[in-house]
Amino acid sequence: MKRNEWTAIRANLFKRRWITTSKGFIPAALLALLAVAIWQIVVVAADVPAYIVPSPAEIMAELLAESSWLAADLGWTMLEAVLGFLIGSCTAFITAVLFVHVRVVERAAFPWAIVLQTIPIVAIAPLLTIWFGYTLVPKVIIAAIICFFPVLVNTTRGLRAVSNQAMELMNVLSARKASIFWRLRLPSSLPYVFAGLRVAATLSVIGSIVAEFTGADRGIGYVIVQASYRIDTRLMFAAIALSSLAGIVFFHVIGWIEKATLRWPEARLDED
Amino acid sequence: MSPRDVGSGIVLDSVGVTFGGENPVIALEDVSLEIPAGEFLAIVGPSGCGKSTLLRVVSGLLEPTVGTVSVHGKTAEQARSDVEFGFVFQDPVLFPWLRALGNVLLPDKILGKRNPTHGPQTEELARRLMRDVGLAGFEEHYPAQLSGGMQSRVALARVLIYEASTLLMDEPFGALDEFTRDRLNLQLLDVWARARTTVLFVTHSIQEAIFLADRVVVLSPRPGRIVHVATVPFTRPRPLELRYEPAFGSLTSRLRSLLETDGES
Ligand SMILES: Nc1ncnc2c1ncn2[C@@H]1O[C@H](COP(=O)(O)OP(=O)(O)OP(=O)(O)O)[C@@H](O)[C@H]1O
Ligand SMILES: [Mg+2]
Repeated sequence: MKRNEWTAIRANLFKRRWITTSKGFIPAALLALLAVAIWQIVVVAADVPAYIVPSPAEIMAELLAESSWLAADLGWTMLEAVLGFLIGSCTAFITAVLFVHVRVVERAAFPWAIVLQTIPIVAIAPLLTIWFGYTLVPKVIIAAIICFFPVLVNTTRGLRAVSNQAMELMNVLSARKASIFWRLRLPSSLPYVFAGLRVAATLSVIGSIVAEFTGADRGIGYVIVQASYRIDTRLMFAAIALSSLAGIVFFHVIGWIEKATLRWPEARLDED
Repeated sequence: MSPRDVGSGIVLDSVGVTFGGENPVIALEDVSLEIPAGEFLAIVGPSGCGKSTLLRVVSGLLEPTVGTVSVHGKTAEQARSDVEFGFVFQDPVLFPWLRALGNVLLPDKILGKRNPTHGPQTEELARRLMRDVGLAGFEEHYPAQLSGGMQSRVALARVLIYEASTLLMDEPFGALDEFTRDRLNLQLLDVWARARTTVLFVTHSIQEAIFLADRVVVLSPRPGRIVHVATVPFTRPRPLELRYEPAFGSLTSRLRSLLETDGES
């Protein structure tokens, strides 16, 4: 086949792919638009007072009016979330590697990882605030704790998801432990690791906001608490919308990194 | 390379393998074999008779329940850790995150200096092997983008890259069409004749076994026992047309009848 024909086919494939992926968003966007429209109509028609449920238009106006300082608070919250995410995920990853290589560590530590998971974070957040004050630290710790478990469980599963036959191949080649880890266990675990990271990304935002509720002088959680004292429903809704948007963006950033890292076909665990 | 010393081959002495569990299976029973270095040995037998198990015992991947295995004077386990074996598994066992060429180069990456072909020209060798098995142009494809037969040819190129002294091949050409299979059979004989490797070759095709091998071992199922060892009388090099000669046909039917009567016992 001639070169330009190939180029044409590739261009065509690319275009088709782009259309299908952007098409994927359309139903969800339409649904959101519909919901917002109904909300707006109901609020206006029933004349609901803004301090109970503001209309989407009012929320939007609030967002735009307060955007400069809301952005600063959002940035602060995201800093806490991302730091917690990085610390929690890295710790979980290293723990999983230990679990897989030293069985006794898993037997000793895994039950306690479950215990940690069952402690409600809203219960430990005030304690951490007593210890560390109105600083970044309690929020990062909470976000890290909340990220830890999903990454731990997924990574452990991924590192074990190695077929017996692949292990036999490595054994025939007399591969050393390090070699087995880097060339077999790690790459085959990556799809699982990323599945865990995507969950952790959204949880980390929730974690840092919850931690802010119990003691903070800035951040989206702080904004929500302050607005609730003043029954500033519009601001509360605006903050909620922003934090959920931030969670979605974080989720997709991890998704993009995953896509760029896992290049082989059928690598992503939940690809449709 | 000079032919290896006959005494330094593979010796199996009353090897038995029983798989435990709720209903134990005797996969191999009282298997004794002497395979001189440089021999091409084919193994045939019905499905489930223990052919794969036999290869895994020889390669040191599986410890026999009873009996001993020695390979070039060492234990199988020792020979395995000295990377004496090239194993083509029944499934291709490719790494999905590596492209075809990367899979072929995997042994070199793992072995490093322990690979006799290691050096700046290894990648060129990998490309040549891929051409030899008919996969030129597919170097950059991922395994998921290759057909089953193409995947098994990648696995073949992968085992040839490190020139192991003993090749254990578990139905390597089972997923291939007849023409490709013929071509690869000739190529395998070529490799074998040049490097004088010892080859243990499992196949379901009696014809293929006779065409390739010096001797053909016939196994019976449950328990897996050696029912017959046939010496193939044909001289080498063997042309593909050999298969249409009467002597070839009569040996084929003799082995086939052995396999058939065996199913009744
Ligand atoms: N890991 C295992 N655990 C338990 N039983 C096993 C195991 N591997 C093999 N077996 C049993 O041992 C017997 C021989 O198996 P094997 O795989 O060696 O047969 P085979 O001759 O290679 O068959 P095929 O031609 O179908 O590949 C079978 O009955 C099988 O059920
Ligand atoms: Mg088998």
